[in-house]
Amino acid sequence: MESSLAEQQRILASDWGGGKSPFGTSWSKFMMWIFIISDALTFAAFLIGYGFMRSISPEWPKQTEVFNMVLITFMTFILISSSAVMAMAVGAARARNPKLAFQFLVLTIVGGLIFLGCQAFEWTHLIEEGARLTHNPWGVPQFAAAFFVITGFHGFHVFSGVTILAVVAIRAAMGKYSGDQVENAGLYWHFVDVVWVFVFAFFYLL
Amino acid sequence: MAEQHEHSITYKTYLLTWFWLLVLTGLALGLGYAPINERLKALLLVCTTLAKILVIAAIFMHLRYERINLILITFAPLILAVILFSFTFPETLGNATHLIRVR
Repeated sequence: MESSLAEQQRILASDWGGGKSPFGTSWSKFMMWIFIISDALTFAAFLIGYGFMRSISPEWPKQTEVFNMVLITFMTFILISSSAVMAMAVGAARARNPKLAFQFLVLTIVGGLIFLGCQAFEWTHLIEEGARLTHNPWGVPQFAAAFFVITGFHGFHVFSGVTILAVVAIRAAMGKYSGDQVENAGLYWHFVDVVWVFVFAFFYLL
Repeated sequence: MAEQHEHSITYKTYLLTWFWLLVLTGLALGLGYAPINERLKALLLVCTTLAKILVIAAIFMHLRYERINLILITFAPLILAVILFSFTFPETLGNATHLIRVR
């Protein structure tokens, strides 16, 4: 009985006894991580589906002949750079420097908008060449379907990220500044970058 | 009240991380054009990609400063993706071209 009471007290005093976060984070940050994990599974399913289709296709178009690789590399450069600037925004927010955090946030948003502009240009160019969800001029229909679905879903994430960052930046400018908000928005933005790293390697280069 | 981690990464570290990410991107791009065996290319691209996401997660997402239990759950999608891949990919090893229609 005594040992049971001691055990109960030990559990209550531990991280899992309630009253504190076992993961050592704020609830909002932990929820952002949970969201990122579930969203990563969605993208994993897309990429595995793409790999499956590609493996069973008798032919697959050579990406370097279909896509403008200079543009794709530039888009990758922009997204990685905006991710670095976003990390600096989080650093400034943690150092309780809202003005600097706001400036870095604006730079990150500009990076996101340039990326979206490049993607719109790429989509327009391919659609003009005859690419559709159901068919394309380069071979198996699954090629264009995979392209539009994967890059479209990622592009929507970039658009959502820009919107979230704009809200956070406006709130920071209005003085409703919260370090947690900047950090959570940053986690989402880095995740968007991580997904693009996979798309760039497996869809454009492999 | 959740325990907050107080740690600071300098801007210099972020700039260095950015530089190494660009180097890894250049490496991946070079691999994309390299006239090497496709399987070897795929393996090397997977390694380069994993290196990039580890750097982004560790430095930009501050995962290296988080508790081990949070770090471990972030690997869940990767493990589940490998399981999904292992279950679906063998289907493609046989004569599965009937599953796809060429226009």
